[in-house]
Amino acid sequence: MTWTTQRERGNAAALKLMGWIITRLGWRAAWLLLYPITAYFFVSSPRQRAASRRFLRRALGREPGLADQFRHYFTFSATLLDRVFLLDGRREGYDIRIVGLDLLKERIARGQGCILLGAHLGSFDAMRAVADTGCPVEVVALMHAQHAAISMNFFTQQAAGTRTSTIPLGRPDAMLRAKECLERGGLVGILADRTPHQDKVARAPFLGHPAAFPEGPHILAAVLGAPVMLAYGVWTGPRRYEVHFEPFAERILLDRTRRREDLAAAIGHYAVRLEGIARAFPYNWFNFYDFWQEMEAG
Amino acid sequence: MSSQLAIEAEVAALIVEALHLETSADQIDPEAPLFGEGLGLDSIDALEIALAISRRYGFQLRSDDERNGQIFASLRNLSAHIEKHRQH
Repeated sequence: MTWTTQRERGNAAALKLMGWIITRLGWRAAWLLLYPITAYFFVSSPRQRAASRRFLRRALGREPGLADQFRHYFTFSATLLDRVFLLDGRREGYDIRIVGLDLLKERIARGQGCILLGAHLGSFDAMRAVADTGCPVEVVALMHAQHAAISMNFFTQQAAGTRTSTIPLGRPDAMLRAKECLERGGLVGILADRTPHQDKVARAPFLGHPAAFPEGPHILAAVLGAPVMLAYGVWTGPRRYEVHFEPFAERILLDRTRRREDLAAAIGHYAVRLEGIARAFPYNWFNFYDFWQEMEAG
Repeated sequence: MSSQLAIEAEVAALIVEALHLETSADQIDPEAPLFGEGLGLDSIDALEIALAISRRYGFQLRSDDERNGQIFASLRNLSAHIEKHRQH
């Protein structure tokens, strides 16, 4: 089960199609077409739908109906549609509310930058709205090369000129860029929910069942030594988003003698917080794969 | 495995200490890759090494250095780079 190959390919195709429609016909027309497009992906991806059903069952605490599942898919499609506009900085017509901005500004004011732990939940692009709020700081996001490549393919032109950039992981000096960004008082975004490597993971209960979370983001945050917040932007309706910044840790400390325990505690803490967010905004959960790695095992 | 020069032994010890490795410093082959298949380090390890180097030798490794791939390729290259740029 490799989410990297399987799902991103679908994303790339969907993005391409969406981009074509939008540039020709505009947001409103694209919005209407979102229903048949979503329906198409809904019927043609049984595997992802099974994963969606399993997630929703646990997050909602009841058996999800077809309407719930469609809504889950539709929320994802809606964020893809908006992506084209938001990446381009075209936020007119959008209502993007920011919760916790004062807390973020407070940390930025200290001048040590801030690490934003995110997840594949909602829209990363809605977070760009922070740039409009009088704290124009540098933002970089650490991403796996493949994700970065997909965004690049299609969005390079639109994204040109924004102050957000991605740092592709995989090069030894990738993290030096993150460190330098923090030294300039910037924000560094790290996704902490997916495990691209099967080693370097720790299991923590998530919605009642153990799931694997990557250790890397927490180790990195500890090494960088900056304050850590949770950050996510959820879709709440047509062209409506809510971006949240929530305190997570003043800094993550991994004591040398208790490294394993400290790391497990940080990951456990993250899993609990992520669970709360997933329950509050279940349809914004965009891990359409076997998150608990149970399906193969039956 | 080729033998370590004095500076290489010093840097190897620094790496082992910074990363809490179980490998002993004199077991690190100066010519083997540090990242990926060799010693198996990742980019977070690289950051820790860079921080330890700046504390010990008083100069910064920067992300905009085009030679980073080269510098981080092996203990030998990294040590040679330190020799050239160290402030103390």
